[in-house]
Amino acid sequence: MQTLDIISVNIWQIIISLSNLVILFLLVKKFLFKPVKSMIAKREEAAAAELKAAEEIKKEAIREKMAWDEKMAAADDEADEIIKQAVVKANKKSGVIINTATERADEIIKLAKFEANLEHKAAEEGIKREIVDLSSALTGKLLSREINPEDHSELIDEFINEIGEIS
Amino acid sequence: MSKKTTAFKIRDILFITMMILPILAGILLKVLFIPASDGISITGAHVFFTIDFPIQPLIISEAQVNSWLVIISLFFFCLFMTNGIKAGIHTKRQVLAEWMVESVENLVKSNMGEYFIGFAPFVAAIMALSAFSSLLSLTGLFPPTSDLNIVAGWALLVFFLITYYKMKCGPLHYLKSFGEPVPFLAPLNIISEVATPVSMAFRHYGNILSGSVISVLVASALQGLTHLLMGKLPGWLGEFPFLRIGIPAVLSIYFDVFSGLLQAFIFAMLTMLYIGGAFALEDYLAIQAKKKKTRTKINT
Repeated sequence: MQTLDIISVNIWQIIISLSNLVILFLLVKKFLFKPVKSMIAKREEAAAAELKAAEEIKKEAIREKMAWDEKMAAADDEADEIIKQAVVKANKKSGVIINTATERADEIIKLAKFEANLEHKAAEEGIKREIVDLSSALTGKLLSREINPEDHSELIDEFINEIGEIS
Repeated sequence: MSKKTTAFKIRDILFITMMILPILAGILLKVLFIPASDGISITGAHVFFTIDFPIQPLIISEAQVNSWLVIISLFFFCLFMTNGIKAGIHTKRQVLAEWMVESVENLVKSNMGEYFIGFAPFVAAIMALSAFSSLLSLTGLFPPTSDLNIVAGWALLVFFLITYYKMKCGPLHYLKSFGEPVPFLAPLNIISEVATPVSMAFRHYGNILSGSVISVLVASALQGLTHLLMGKLPGWLGEFPFLRIGIPAVLSIYFDVFSGLLQAFIFAMLTMLYIGGAFALEDYLAIQAKKKKTRTKINT
């Protein structure tokens, strides 16, 4: 068992130490840097994807909001229009209804008048006929008692005319 | 947070034990094979065995074995940090792992530029290996960084990388770089080129070794001082080194912890600066563009 001198140079030891450093370099690269860097890259990718998605959603939301605003403004106008149209329609309808109602009323009145006239005429006729019947019956009776048409014709005519005047 | 699965827990426990086990194995090796030095002495690494090799015998020393142990420990530390890592879930461990990776990458980016981002694991490896090798002295083991061979190996690798990046613009460009700013300074440039790895190796090694040397010297001085002050006390009281309680621990915080971490940081910084400085990115890009142009010309 011996020890080296404090300063000793051995070419093989130097080469071994050199390769040791190379080996450690490879180990550190493979087992520390590679996993950590791939992890960082993955995370950055995920973050970028998330940001992109968020941006897209934001854009979509703004677009939707604008559409809604437009729609809201349009809806107010539309409501006004509808009310106006309804008022106009209602006015028209009411006019029509009133016109037809008056027409119908006129018609009814006309019809009533006409009917009344007809009845009046019929009644007149009926009365006339009855009077004629009555008078003829009367005359018949009178004549049968004292038949002398030549004497009494003047009287009968007068009588009938009188009746006609009355009616 | 999702519930921890049994497999996750078992893996965690396995990784933690495998992190600690190498250190315990190192201590066991030291207890079994290395005779306790009596008194105070400053020696290099203990030699476990030697194998006959061409040029020089291959020596498996304490420093070598300890650095392997550190590597195994670090490997399992990496596995532990990335155990159960997922994109969505945040655990403290995951945040810590992310912080480590990102801070090293930022360091590399700010010192070497975007082009050298692939060097981040290398810098992390250098820092971790150097720091934990130095910190190994806290467990009473021989710190591998106080063996020149270990640090020289790292510095040599850095030198190879520097040369590779200087050569990347073409060998002619590399040779031309020695003649700058004026051709007759070429010898000085060559010396400075060679001095880079040497200075890096010796700086790191010297700092750590000097720390242990000073610790040993202070410990022995304190023993002498106690003996001088309290030697008159009767019995074992006269022998007991009272002043060695506490004071060396405070020094150890500086020489072992602070100096070790600082040297690791300096070594990593120098690596980054030298490699980053060796590579003339603009020239390289200009050459590449020219090549592309000629290639398209040939094609058309």
